Amino acid sequence: MKITDILTTFVADARNRTALIAGLAALTLGGNLLAMVIGTPESLLPLPTLPLTIPIILASYWYPRRGILFSVCFGAVYAVTTYLLSPPGPLLAYTILLRAILLVLIGGVVAFLAAKLRESEQQMNQIIEFLPDATFAIDREGRVIAWNRAIEEMTGVKKEAMLGRGDYEYAVPFYGEARPVLADLILHGDPENGYPSVRRDGDVLVAEVYTPLLRSRRGAHIRFAATALLDRQGKVTGAIESIRDVSDEVMTEAALQNASRQLSTLTGILRTDLANRLAVLYGHLSLGVMKFDDPAVLSFIDDLNNAANGIRRQIEISREFRDIGTSPPAWIPVQQAVRKGAANLSFGGVSLEAWTERLEIFADPHLATVFTHLFENSLAPATKAERIVVTYHLRPEGCAIIVEDDGTGIPETEKEGLFVQKAESYGHGLFLAHEILAITGIAIRETGTFGTGARFEILVPSEGYRVV
Amino acid sequence: MTTAVITGNGTATSGVRPEVRELTSAEFPAADEVWRDYHGTTGDPARDRIFATFLAGQIVSLARCRRHPDGLEVDGVFTPDACRKQGYARMAMNALVVACHNDDLYMYAVESLAGFYAGFGFISIPERDLPPGIRERYTWAAGNMEGAEVRPMLRRAGL
Repeated sequence: MKITDILTTFVADARNRTALIAGLAALTLGGNLLAMVIGTPESLLPLPTLPLTIPIILASYWYPRRGILFSVCFGAVYAVTTYLLSPPGPLLAYTILLRAILLVLIGGVVAFLAAKLRESEQQMNQIIEFLPDATFAIDREGRVIAWNRAIEEMTGVKKEAMLGRGDYEYAVPFYGEARPVLADLILHGDPENGYPSVRRDGDVLVAEVYTPLLRSRRGAHIRFAATALLDRQGKVTGAIESIRDVSDEVMTEAALQNASRQLSTLTGILRTDLANRLAVLYGHLSLGVMKFDDPAVLSFIDDLNNAANGIRRQIEISREFRDIGTSPPAWIPVQQAVRKGAANLSFGGVSLEAWTERLEIFADPHLATVFTHLFENSLAPATKAERIVVTYHLRPEGCAIIVEDDGTGIPETEKEGLFVQKAESYGHGLFLAHEILAITGIAIRETGTFGTGARFEILVPSEGYRVV
Repeated sequence: MTTAVITGNGTATSGVRPEVRELTSAEFPAADEVWRDYHGTTGDPARDRIFATFLAGQIVSLARCRRHPDGLEVDGVFTPDACRKQGYARMAMNALVVACHNDDLYMYAVESLAGFYAGFGFISIPERDLPPGIRERYTWAAGNMEGAEVRPMLRRAGL
């Protein structure tokens, strides 16, 4: 055991502190008196007061409320005894009085600072105490230094029973055995050890486990988050860990995934069935074209063919809807997404210029589909666009990716419902684009002027873009 | 990695089509190499967008758009001697103007090239109309633009 640890343990006991202060006070005052009684060179009188400050500092630090009283008493004893025992001198009384005042001042300043420190510690303890999440903290030696009310409720273990305990005893309410927890792994490294999956979020380690011991032994899904406690030099002095019961969240997510899977299966069956019947319809239409030569009938067949194409497009869109949100969002290079979005479209004589080379945004992996639908809007024959330009504009509130064309644009009356789910027309595609972007908080709006072209602005929040 | 070595003369006549695009941050050193003969200009990925015309994988012309706190400045429009008179600078400038058209663009145009920039929609303006951050570069000229043989110009936002 280190000397600092021995000292820390010794002064943790109030009786030891009092004894230490009393001993030091007696030693320094006694030494002062003894020196004057047995004789000290006159030039040194009155004796230096420096050693006398030690018991005053300790007393004021450990007992701030009584620190000044102690300093006054101590200073008075010093002043009286020194005055009586010192040889008379012209300024002796003033010198002794000044030194006594100095002792009181030192005691007062230390008591004030210690009181402020206690106040700050008290506030910090109260913050931890009333955190809604179950929270505990351990020092570098693995002893519990905080155990708040929420963790008392979660585990049924009272603070008094846990404070000061070590040897991983704080793990018992969660795991049924004393074993390292996430906070220990922060202190001693190897954070992946013992947890099925640990992720690092900045300085915080996060892990989720299932424990059968909580919720009256009915079991609970628990999310642990732990981080290091640092001193002013950045040295680790302990770790704090919060524990959240995410059982409801996990069950809701599982139920939603289950429902989504069933819905996906059902729509998949319907889509396949519809596609098969559509293939039959296309076959009949092809035969019809070969069988009839009456222009009116052929025109009728052509209309039927267009309607069938519309149905096929709806099937494709419904397939894209199925996949949205199935993969986690990621940083996506916009230029690549634009290229991918344009890859399967026929541009004919329409030019596409994309100037987003270094831009990346945090978005759903289906970002390319957004561009596909925006380009489709521009490529519709009715728009008569000849040029599509994709650029970006940095603004105080974020970044706007701008997709614009030189076609006829979108009438004001249609703008409001542009991204709303509709049972007809191209609104389906733009609704899908809107939904894909909304997953990561990205908005979309149309700001063009009818007659001069469409202009879609994809508004990415500040934290959702970067120029690499 | 793009190389910036400029070789030969009249490469446009070799049948290879020039290509214009924005440089990635990793390609900025290649632009710096080309700019070595142009006042030692260097690019800063944090502030600059650089547009380059490439021929057979080599940079043959550059144009830079620098973001100042109070506006965007176009400068560093440069084509090495061996590659001039092929329209490469026009291609790089055209790319810059389209890519950055959402903002007003300011520049100090070399007097003899004012007509060239006018073709991209730049108009002459009094120096006092330039944002202060951009005006700083020519503080030494003390307002004597003729003496410095440059002309303050502005291109309003828009395609």
